[in-house]
Amino acid sequence: MSECILQAENLSKHWGGLKALNEFNIKFYDKSLHSIVGPNGAGKSTMLNILCGTYPATKGVILYRGENITGLKSHQFCRKGIGRSFQKTNIFKDATCLENCCIAAQQRVGSSFNMFKSKHSSKHVTAIAEDALEQVGLLKQANTKASAISYGEQRQLEIAMVLATDPQVLLLDEPMAGMGHEESLIIIDLLKSLKKRYCIVLVEHDMDAVFELSDLMTVMVDGQHLITDVVDNIRANPLVQEAYLGNDDEVF
Amino acid sequence: MSVFSSKAEKVFIFAFFFIALGIPLFFNENTFYVNKISTMLILSIFVMSLDYLVGRTGLITLGHAMFYGLGGYLFAIMIPEYEVVNFWLYTFYVMAASGVIALIVGFIVLRTSGIYMIMITLALAQMTFYFFADSTEYGGLDGLFIYLKPETSIFGLNFLDLDNENHFYYLCLLSLFNCYVFCKVSLHSRFGRVIDAIKENPERATALGYNIFHFRLVSYVLSSSLAAYAGYLFSLQYGFVNPTMMSWEVSASALVMAILGGLGTIFGAILGVFVYESLHYGIEHMTQYWMFWMGSLIILMVLLLKSGIAGLIEQLVGGKRK
Repeated sequence: MSECILQAENLSKHWGGLKALNEFNIKFYDKSLHSIVGPNGAGKSTMLNILCGTYPATKGVILYRGENITGLKSHQFCRKGIGRSFQKTNIFKDATCLENCCIAAQQRVGSSFNMFKSKHSSKHVTAIAEDALEQVGLLKQANTKASAISYGEQRQLEIAMVLATDPQVLLLDEPMAGMGHEESLIIIDLLKSLKKRYCIVLVEHDMDAVFELSDLMTVMVDGQHLITDVVDNIRANPLVQEAYLGNDDEVF
Repeated sequence: MSVFSSKAEKVFIFAFFFIALGIPLFFNENTFYVNKISTMLILSIFVMSLDYLVGRTGLITLGHAMFYGLGGYLFAIMIPEYEVVNFWLYTFYVMAASGVIALIVGFIVLRTSGIYMIMITLALAQMTFYFFADSTEYGGLDGLFIYLKPETSIFGLNFLDLDNENHFYYLCLLSLFNCYVFCKVSLHSRFGRVIDAIKENPERATALGYNIFHFRLVSYVLSSSLAAYAGYLFSLQYGFVNPTMMSWEVSASALVMAILGGLGTIFGAILGVFVYESLHYGIEHMTQYWMFWMGSLIILMVLLLKSGIAGLIEQLVGGKRK
């Protein structure tokens, strides 16, 4: 297995009396896709939000390449190389697709306090943004307003923006939520190519996609870590079947 | 890429500055109108700085008049009595000092946002208002007088006489022009790109790695310094400062003018001020119940013109804003 890039030790998050995440240990490896599944309310999104610094953890540490980054502010996580996409589409709707990625790329290039140079002056920023759009297959829509493209394309743009910040780790929160079958296939292809270069952490409800894409899978129940293993073992595991997959009450 | 964000803006800006240049020639004998329009130009700078903060950075404040008043007070307090000082030097002093104050105030108020920021800016402005209104040292409600106007020589060259209404008028016009150019250039820059992003979606901007607090703080300091400069010009024009300049009504009416002109358009600030002030002046002379008519008209305009007068012109001229 390749190098462990992001690691959580004894991570806990308590909302008052509710233990959304309890003593969670997990490791994410470079150039692989690690998906986290579990029933609704299992704490998947909570964990993602802690891993990208949106919520502070109640307890535990987050190690990024061996460095303790637990206390950092939200924006510093992105600067370290942990990029995230949102469950609910979260883009700059009034701007063009290219501009959306330029905003992301400029953070990486720097000199964002320059007030006298036109925002269009840097070819470097534009090049990074165009490259990100190209990777997700949105380059032809570069000059379309983000609010005017289809929902599926907005989800792709969401990922392009993360790519433009030059991340090492991608935290993707349900990138296929609300998508049709065709659109999901595009994202699956995209993630397949991305996982060759990045460490991807995927939270997703589309089980076909998860089984197809994952190198490693973690099953969570009630904020607890149930099991982490390769896909085939997960499928065969009776514990998982009982807790999650075999549950007749829940329809996915 | 064009500097102007719409055809309407281009048309308006050329027309406005072209006409404005000729105003003193037109009102040759009548200094009353020249003075009146000078005040509107000063007010335009103030409202433009507010639009920078409210319309572009997305921070709503009800305490902007605090800096307007401080601009005047800082100058009146700093100058030695009975001594003519240099205008340009004190412009720098006033703006730098108010910038430092804005940095400290911004550090506090920017920890909040939305309705809480409105409350805390209002509270701070009222505190400052009562501080000056109750202080015997700074003249209480009467304020302070500026007996001698500054001289404006640069390297021994003196081409502006601030006691001359026409000269002062052109100084205000030049200031407004510079203020407009600065706002446009900085909002079109890399800094402006981030400011726009933060206004539209602060959560996303943070997730992309921007420390939005720093950007908001810089924007707050810039905007406040510009407001202080406007207040400084106002105090020079009338030769005094008093606490009314920083009363909350001044902040509120500036906000009304910014909204009336078209929030976030920058050039709308000029429109807002001129329409509001002209209506005020016109109706005041017709009826003693001018406040009633004024209020009704403003409600009507805000209801009918969703994006202000600037939006109306854009519809008329065509050429949509990007």
